[in-house]
Amino acid sequence: MSTIVLGAVAYDAKVVPIWEGIRAHFREVGVPMDFCLFSNYERQVEALLAGHVDVAWDTPLAHVRVRRRTGGASQSLGMRDTDRDFRAKVVVRKDAGVRTLADLHGRTLAVGSRDSTQARILPLHFLAQAGVDLARVRVLPFDTDLGKHGDTGTSELDVLAALRDGRAQAGAVGDLVWVTEQAAGRVDPARLEVLWTTPAFDHCMFDALPSFPQDRARAFWGALDAMKWDDPRHRRLLELEGLRRWVAPREEGYASLVAALDAQGGW
Amino acid sequence: MSEAPASGRGARGAAGSASAGAVAVDVGDLPLGGGALAVLRPALALLAPGGVLSVRSTSSGFSEDFASWCRAERHDDLGAETGPDGATTHRVARGADGVARGPREDGMRLPRRDGALLAADVLAAVPFPARADPGSGFAPRGAQVEPGGPAYPVDLVERDRVAPPETARLYDQAVAAQWDAARDVPWDRVGALPPALERAVGQTMTFLAENELSALWVPAKFLPRVHPAYAEVAMLLGITLADEARHIDVFLKRARAGGGGLGVSHVTTSRSLLSLLEQEDFTEAMFLLSVLGEGTFLDLLRYVETHAPDEATAVLVARARADETRHVHFGLAHVRHALAHDSTLYGRLEAAVRRRAATMGDAGVPPAVQDALTVLAARGTEPRAVARGHEAFRALLHEMHENRMKRLVHAGFTPEQAQTLSDLHTPNFM
Ligand SMILES: [Fe+2]
Ligand SMILES: [Fe+2]
Repeated sequence: MSTIVLGAVAYDAKVVPIWEGIRAHFREVGVPMDFCLFSNYERQVEALLAGHVDVAWDTPLAHVRVRRRTGGASQSLGMRDTDRDFRAKVVVRKDAGVRTLADLHGRTLAVGSRDSTQARILPLHFLAQAGVDLARVRVLPFDTDLGKHGDTGTSELDVLAALRDGRAQAGAVGDLVWVTEQAAGRVDPARLEVLWTTPAFDHCMFDALPSFPQDRARAFWGALDAMKWDDPRHRRLLELEGLRRWVAPREEGYASLVAALDAQGGW
Repeated sequence: MSEAPASGRGARGAAGSASAGAVAVDVGDLPLGGGALAVLRPALALLAPGGVLSVRSTSSGFSEDFASWCRAERHDDLGAETGPDGATTHRVARGADGVARGPREDGMRLPRRDGALLAADVLAAVPFPARADPGSGFAPRGAQVEPGGPAYPVDLVERDRVAPPETARLYDQAVAAQWDAARDVPWDRVGALPPALERAVGQTMTFLAENELSALWVPAKFLPRVHPAYAEVAMLLGITLADEARHIDVFLKRARAGGGGLGVSHVTTSRSLLSLLEQEDFTEAMFLLSVLGEGTFLDLLRYVETHAPDEATAVLVARARADETRHVHFGLAHVRHALAHDSTLYGRLEAAVRRRAATMGDAGVPPAVQDALTVLAARGTEPRAVARGHEAFRALLHEMHENRMKRLVHAGFTPEQAQTLSDLHTPNFM
């Protein structure tokens, strides 16, 4: 089998050891794979569409763009267990007197980068759907690491910092950042609490063009599926990439993002 | 000695078997990141995968966060109900990832003997495993080990090659028998000896210290190769190293306390000790060092003690000999245990002794050592006394051979094998 060329975005230095490790695993199970790193998801999507890479490890925003640009014919090859049923949290300062979503009117809501699905696009979309008039909310954006689609988590930590020091009374962050920060003891429970949780949506996906051969797609999935949490050779890679196991793809988890991009003109 | 009942393991498994049923905790108004995790995580850890935990909470923030936490930790959120009191009860099934291996040591109570807790009783309650997994790393034996950990670079991973059952008892004895080389020797009782006798003491002490240095370096080499599941072996080796450090210390002090100073280090000794240091097999090294070497050393120490020219020398040599007796016991236990489990071992040990003998050529006991031991037994250089000293030295060589034979038979060798091994033993004694 010819080498599968995979694209990934270098949102952090750890991306290099992650994909070098996964490449070694793929070769061990007889699926030759190599990877290219991109500085942003826009460049990676264009490279996939131009056929320069076979598979792209995409954020939800990149994924729905690939779906649209291929007329819905692109192939989805797999995702992390953590990519399913993602949610965003609206966190508030306890001293701000924000008890309901309507109390957000006239307050400052900190949000993440404009290409972050979990910290900006979907929380604003779901809040509008839930009846919040965003025109009456002062939105404080943290447009850090644009092009990385929120992968770095920096803008979410910026949101929490703005809440901590009172620049905002409310803020939107992904649920994993929120529980991870709490479990690590970096959230003062006397000062911050959750006001609201969004509906669930799905996160990253391996995308391939419609022309990617079936046997190579199957081999790609087989190699992913052979990575085991309890195997010391795989454990560190899975920890770094933020999953316990790879799971089969599904499309329904992206419907809300498509609707949000339509409504926000965000394509 | 009062005998308490052996530790009960019957109660263990109570927590493990809770997996079948459900467990409930109440986290009150604690937020998820404000203490609730410290209650619910240990409760979940008592369950097997699929086991259900109910969590009662009166915090609205907790209820918002709990499902996300379950998602992050791959537990199965089974939903929540809010009761008439306003409290919410969440139900969660434990996920299958990262479940630590082995049962919890619930209900383990170690016996006391006259108020003391002995390592031997710990070992009886938590026996050595037949094989140890390098993936359990430094996890103490008996701990539940999360799977997926890195493999450690340890290669002594079989009980029958590394950990005889006597290990913990010898460790207990060693700890109780520690002494202080600075204060537990009557240093003010170093005699004012004739110069020739004092120089003989200095030469004897030089030889003893040189051999003791090898006894510190050789076991140290194997300690990091012992799997931590056999920690008592490493602990015993550790305290043995402390013994050897004390012996080096005390012999060098004696050489310099009375004006004799250090003597000569011979090539025969150097070559003999290097061949010990170059051993790579733990059992072969224990056999050469502890059974043959330190065993023979016991006879030498008894000789020096018998002929000690002053009280300080007699005391310090007697104390070192008491320590060495334990080292020889461990070596014997190790070899006896290994011989019983490995029919090829005798052949390997004999080959190791032959290889070592070949590097020694036809060297005899280093001359300066032979002379010093003769003058020591003669208490000086008066000719008729020296004749007696010479006889004593010849008797020592004979006694060393006889006792090596006894020890080898005790270790599990046949008399013929013992004869072969003893005849090939190094003229350096160690
Ligand atoms: Fe010693
Ligand atoms: Fe020793």
